[in-house]
Amino acid sequence: MGSVALKDIRKSYGAVEVLHGIDLDIADGEFTVLVGPSGCGKSTLLRSIAGLETISGGDIILDDTKINTLQPKERDIAMVFQNYALYPHMTVAKNMGFSLRLSKVDKDEIDRKVRAAAEILDLTPLLDRYPRQLSGGQRQRVAMGRAIVRDPKVFLFDEPLSNLDAKLRVQMRSEIKELHQRLKTTTIYVTHDQIEAMTMADKIVVMRGGHVEQIGSPLELYENPASVFVAGFIGSPSMNFVRASAGADGIEYADGHWLGRPAAAIAPGRAVIAGFRPEDMRLADTGLPARVALVEPTGAETQLVLRTGQDSLVMTTRERVTQKPGDLVHVVVSEGKLHCFDADTERSLAPGAAPA
Amino acid sequence: MNEQPRVLYWTMLSLIGLVIAVYILFPVFWLFLASFKTQAELAQLPINFWPQTPTLDAYAALFSDTHQKGQLLDWPRLIGNSFFIAVTSTIIVLIFGTFAGYAFARLQFPGRDLILGGLLISRMFQGAALLLPTYRLMSMIGLQDSLIGLVLLYSAFGLPFATWIIASSLREIPRELEESAMMDGASRLQSMVLVVLPLATPALITAAMWHFVGAWSEFAFASILLESNENKTVTIGLASFVELFTLEFQYVGAAATIVALPIMLVFFFGQRYFTRGLLAGAVKG
Repeated sequence: MGSVALKDIRKSYGAVEVLHGIDLDIADGEFTVLVGPSGCGKSTLLRSIAGLETISGGDIILDDTKINTLQPKERDIAMVFQNYALYPHMTVAKNMGFSLRLSKVDKDEIDRKVRAAAEILDLTPLLDRYPRQLSGGQRQRVAMGRAIVRDPKVFLFDEPLSNLDAKLRVQMRSEIKELHQRLKTTTIYVTHDQIEAMTMADKIVVMRGGHVEQIGSPLELYENPASVFVAGFIGSPSMNFVRASAGADGIEYADGHWLGRPAAAIAPGRAVIAGFRPEDMRLADTGLPARVALVEPTGAETQLVLRTGQDSLVMTTRERVTQKPGDLVHVVVSEGKLHCFDADTERSLAPGAAPA
Repeated sequence: MNEQPRVLYWTMLSLIGLVIAVYILFPVFWLFLASFKTQAELAQLPINFWPQTPTLDAYAALFSDTHQKGQLLDWPRLIGNSFFIAVTSTIIVLIFGTFAGYAFARLQFPGRDLILGGLLISRMFQGAALLLPTYRLMSMIGLQDSLIGLVLLYSAFGLPFATWIIASSLREIPRELEESAMMDGASRLQSMVLVVLPLATPALITAAMWHFVGAWSEFAFASILLESNENKTVTIGLASFVELFTLEFQYVGAAATIVALPIMLVFFFGQRYFTRGLLAGAVKG
């Protein structure tokens, strides 16, 4: 078992508060990703759960037990660090067995558990090597192996893939995900990469400036972002945002062109921020006029950069594009795909969206 | 194309190095050779560079009772004293320096940087200025003419630098390693002993070498504090030759060789750690 509940977690360094009351419930076995730009407090939150930082307020509850003041070693939580933090003077086997040795587990038992973990992670041939003799991906796996031999209640990952090259990152991403599906251990994973968050998480927690911006499954966040920040952060390429206003029959762009209908009625004349994803736009005979600035084919898709008024819009399409830079086109937003946000608070105006 | 200037450059550099080495080592080597000569040969003119009839008489004399001429100090005893002082104070410095260094490197406490800076400043006062105050202090607490007194004194003198070397090397060890050890179930002490210290070995060896050599060859404080013959150290023994044997230079050579031997051994076996330890923190990566 390993369910985690965070209640109003606060953390201050001197007079500076970096976590402003975080509430979060993580069910047993859930893969939760904390995501946000650097400085948003996600790593601090993770380290607080680990016990490496003391919190200034609130409660951390692991399986009905308050663990606020417990030492890291008493929490039954394992952590994989960004730079792996393998012990350089120990072999792979010794690295993985270190925690068991500390808890005075019988030698044969340690050996058996280390071998079992090495088997899962494909590390068996490397057990006698030292960390310096391993590649980045192998080191990453040893760091994971060190966590899984302990069979802890919770795994914590602190940006574990950021030191790997792009190709390896994708590979390790699926390995971690597979590992989780196999072990079903509660996992809290910190990253600044929204693609990692989207692909791995059961639940994503978007953080910004020490607050939780939105919590939800990857597709919930994608389809119903609660704010401009979340909408822009999740999804690649990012959502387009334009200044617009509510008209009698929907949302109108600054030049009066009709963009689409909002999910809930908005008082005519109200200024809003309209958002629409690149993949929810298509070329049409009528609609918002725009000039093609760039055409970027990526194979399966083509990305178009368009200019209209003051705005630059990105759209992607799977159709073959015959237009050239400089051509005038008309674009429309697919039915029901227009997101509206309050122009001042930047919170979503969709029904059911959490108020600011 | 530019191969030739490079070869020339390195040849010149090596030559200069060689000249400096010979210049420094020649007197040492000559003293070493003198220890194998007889007194007659030493008095002979013109001077022979190589011993004509190499003999170990001088060494035998230093180590035997029968050949003692009354005035010759008890050399096995001197060597024993020096070893006792150097080894014991090295152990003390290493133990305290490690814990203090760890505290400076890892813990937050008020005045930390000030104290660490103060440690270095304390090194500037060493030397002649401290001789008399130290003598008075040691007499007052009854530790003059005592090996233990000298051990404590050398430890006090050696600790700041050892602490400083160890602290700066511990700072280079990523914090995550310790955090990782703590997540793995280690206490702070366990993470220090099992993870941090093995990685700080070069610094620990450097600090130990530095202190051992300093304590082994210290003369000024030993000479004013130690009075009785059975408490004297090798450096005092060497100095005593100046008055005793103006002509019997082979004894000086033999004693000097014996005194230099441990230092040479220490450097021979420790030099690869030594440069690493001293350079800790000098270069990133």
